[in-house]
Amino acid sequence: MSMEYFRKMKGSSQSPPRVKLPEIAWSWVGSLLGIAAVGYLNDRYFEGTDLILIIGSFGASAVLIFGAIKSPLAQPPNLMGGHVLSALIGVSAYKVLAPHLWLAAAVGVATAIAVMHATKTLHPPGGATALIAVIGGEKIHNLGYLYALIPVAAGAAIMLVVALLINNIPKTRRYPEFWM
Amino acid sequence: MQSDQKGTTVSFSGVGLTDEDIYEAMKAIPGYIDITPGDFKEIYCLAYNHAVERFARSVSAGDIMVKPAFHVLPDTPLAEVAEILGTHGISGLPVVDADRKVLGVVSEKDILSQLGFKDTVSFMAIVTQCLRAGGCISVPVRAPTAGEIMVSPAITTSPETPLVELVKLLSENRINRLPVTDSEGRLLGILARSDIVNAASRSGTCPWNISGR
Repeated sequence: MSMEYFRKMKGSSQSPPRVKLPEIAWSWVGSLLGIAAVGYLNDRYFEGTDLILIIGSFGASAVLIFGAIKSPLAQPPNLMGGHVLSALIGVSAYKVLAPHLWLAAAVGVATAIAVMHATKTLHPPGGATALIAVIGGEKIHNLGYLYALIPVAAGAAIMLVVALLINNIPKTRRYPEFWM
Repeated sequence: MQSDQKGTTVSFSGVGLTDEDIYEAMKAIPGYIDITPGDFKEIYCLAYNHAVERFARSVSAGDIMVKPAFHVLPDTPLAEVAEILGTHGISGLPVVDADRKVLGVVSEKDILSQLGFKDTVSFMAIVTQCLRAGGCISVPVRAPTAGEIMVSPAITTSPETPLVELVKLLSENRINRLPVTDSEGRLLGILARSDIVNAASRSGTCPWNISGR
């Protein structure tokens, strides 16, 4: 058993092939426009208010919904469901476990992953969304459960619209693979 | 059909799928596919086995049996039975009554043992016996009938029995043919081991046809 345990660490397959140049270009264009949309709206309308529209986990979502658009992890239910559920769990973890932020962070992220799995909405950036609810500072804490709506649901929805518009332009791409 | 899920190559009936094949296929699809070639191979193996299993369940005795089946009556003389077997190159046939109900099966082996070659399993065993003895002793045979030497009751099957069950029936009972009967036990057709091989070979092509989209 122990030999098998260490043998598994050697890996058994290989990395998928590198994508072609047009794919790289469209990933760049899509994520540029997706993040630009959320970032511009944030700076234009939310600067100086108590609200924000952009959080770090959107950068991770951009990787998936513009860079790996076929991935089950990148599909609309995962993008929206994963972010919103994780936000609710992150805020709850903070409310219950503060001021032990390290514990709230760990419980929040782990629970978010479990719930995303159970609801078939696994979206890796959701883990970051849950974490940000705990360690994102005073401004995020003051939002309370509103955090799940703005910035999380609103920002993710804007990114989704950009992904639908941009990813379906080239003949070789289509998005999404499924809605439900 | 073999599938070795641990090795680097997987061999199916006629299809050897290599890591390179999968890698090349993944390259042909534009866009990042977030599975490894190993993941794909695992899915492919499981899906292939599933397809084979589905085939074995969807094909039943009625689809592949040979009909009409040669058969004899219980009072058919042994010489006539032997003649039918010899003429048509078959090794056994069902014995039916006037109502076509299957009573038993009479095979080459039963006839040979009737001729005094006990415990023989094949014609070659008899040839060996004759050669060793320096000749074949002709035994006076009371000419019996099919009904007297048949193995009865016969193991039979219904037309609805799926292929997987048929394979099990043949190998577990170490028999070479199965009379297929209706619910009343009347003979509909016969299924030999070779008929199953033929049916399986028709399914041997890759069940997979992905046309580029």
